[in-house]
Amino acid sequence: MTARFPPRAPDPRKAGIGLRTAHFEALARSRPALSFLEVHSENYFADGGPSLAWLERFRADHAVSLHGVGLSLGSADPIDREHLARLARLAGRIEPALVSEHLCWSSIGGEHLSELLPLPYSEEVLAHVCDRVASVQERLGRKILVENVCAYVRYASSTIPEGEFVAEVARRTGCGVLLDVNNAWINSVNHGTDAMRFIDALDPSTVGEIHLAGGEVTADGLVDTHGAPVFPEVWALFEKAIARLGAVPTLVEWDVDIPELAVLLAEAAKADAILASSIERASRKAAA
Amino acid sequence: MTVTEGLARLQAQFAAAVLGEDGAGFARHLAGDAGAGLRRLAIYRNAILANRRRALRAAFPVVARLVGDGFFDEAALRYGEACPPGGADLNRYGATFAAFLAAYPHAAAMPWLADVARLEWAWHESLAAADAPGMDFAALSRVPEGEQPGLRLLLHPSVRLVRSAWPVLSIWEANQPDRDGTPDREDGADDVLVWREAQRVLLARLAPPEAAFVDAVARGLALEEAAGITDAWDFTPMLQRLALHGMLCGFSTGDRVPA
Repeated sequence: MTARFPPRAPDPRKAGIGLRTAHFEALARSRPALSFLEVHSENYFADGGPSLAWLERFRADHAVSLHGVGLSLGSADPIDREHLARLARLAGRIEPALVSEHLCWSSIGGEHLSELLPLPYSEEVLAHVCDRVASVQERLGRKILVENVCAYVRYASSTIPEGEFVAEVARRTGCGVLLDVNNAWINSVNHGTDAMRFIDALDPSTVGEIHLAGGEVTADGLVDTHGAPVFPEVWALFEKAIARLGAVPTLVEWDVDIPELAVLLAEAAKADAILASSIERASRKAAA
Repeated sequence: MTVTEGLARLQAQFAAAVLGEDGAGFARHLAGDAGAGLRRLAIYRNAILANRRRALRAAFPVVARLVGDGFFDEAALRYGEACPPGGADLNRYGATFAAFLAAYPHAAAMPWLADVARLEWAWHESLAAADAPGMDFAALSRVPEGEQPGLRLLLHPSVRLVRSAWPVLSIWEANQPDRDGTPDREDGADDVLVWREAQRVLLARLAPPEAAFVDAVARGLALEEAAGITDAWDFTPMLQRLALHGMLCGFSTGDRVPA
């Protein structure tokens, strides 16, 4: 297939932002320099019309990341081939730099729960998930990234620490990892575990993207809302993460109560500053 | 038991615990403090229901405004129980919401509500319908006169016709953000043509023969047959209107279905 767009890759030294309908006009007018734009793949599954036309327009200027929330990689249901076909069609049309999905399940018995639900981390589930990741990569003809999710509950049947589980999926299937630092932080607080131990379990060469997001403090623990500024502790964990992983294309997610574009750009600029100082420290260290 | 059988059972029990009335039975599957775990299952319940609600509100803003938040959220909840999403793309969720409202006892006093929902779903589908190249009018003009009665026209994928015994277009227009909700007509039927032009969805009220003609074209009838349905009425202006607004995208002659 001939390419329709110039190849563009995210700049690991700079953050991207989520592309949201409310910002189409402002973004098209101001054309800020951004490492990449990320969209929820499903929001562009239309057969035609304005959503795709806008995305193609932005794709001409930016690297695009397709971030799926619905493939239900860990479900016991068969993979929804129609959903996967739509994703493949979108990827063919947009030529994204990155394609990602979540290490979770969201449908069972044909009913879709429209939420990223946690998996038990066992050898059996690991094998199941790896088969599915491999089959998705084969259908799409490319590598995908898989993202660690927020798990408000943990299962009695889990036998593998989450970091080792994620790392093993990447090792066995050749997929990459989308490290969600906010999810790692929330899980560590809610379950009294060590977020850095989770990050340390990952092979740095497999981490292809980082997500940051804001959440909410509730009586039952932290909740990942994607509707608030990033927690200070998450910025601190992000710094530690990139000190270990090196600079990685980073995205600040904001999906509900979406603020003005300027607020998103300011959060992205904060991530840029941390990425820049990390790169500087690394180069000083290399020179010394 | 295979891995997927075990996993399927766990996931089905999780779904029942989160969406059903009583989650306590799921406690034995959870690690750590069972009380905290069960309370956190409610986070999932709230998120799942909020996502469904948000999807329906986005597709049916006029229905939501007509019935108010409390009514809409309850209807969304009951609809989700009766017809949960069958796919992950929530932009496609709600295709049967109008039918649900038609049978919803609490909406019985608003007999027009289901038709307003049908119109909103037509709008929603039109926005996301496939793009299509415009009609090749040069080729159309070369069709010999003798074959013209047998012409079958292909409507653009974004075209929908919503026919209602209620003034649904007046209700729809009155409940756009810049209006106060008072319709300019309170009775009478509305036949509404829905289409996408320059990336916007447009709506127009059709006269009864116009609607009958568009309906006949949409069903793939030849012009001659379509004209027969509308009796002695001259369909030429309607045909020109469809052409002018990009609602025609192909034709065939003879018995072939247009492509």
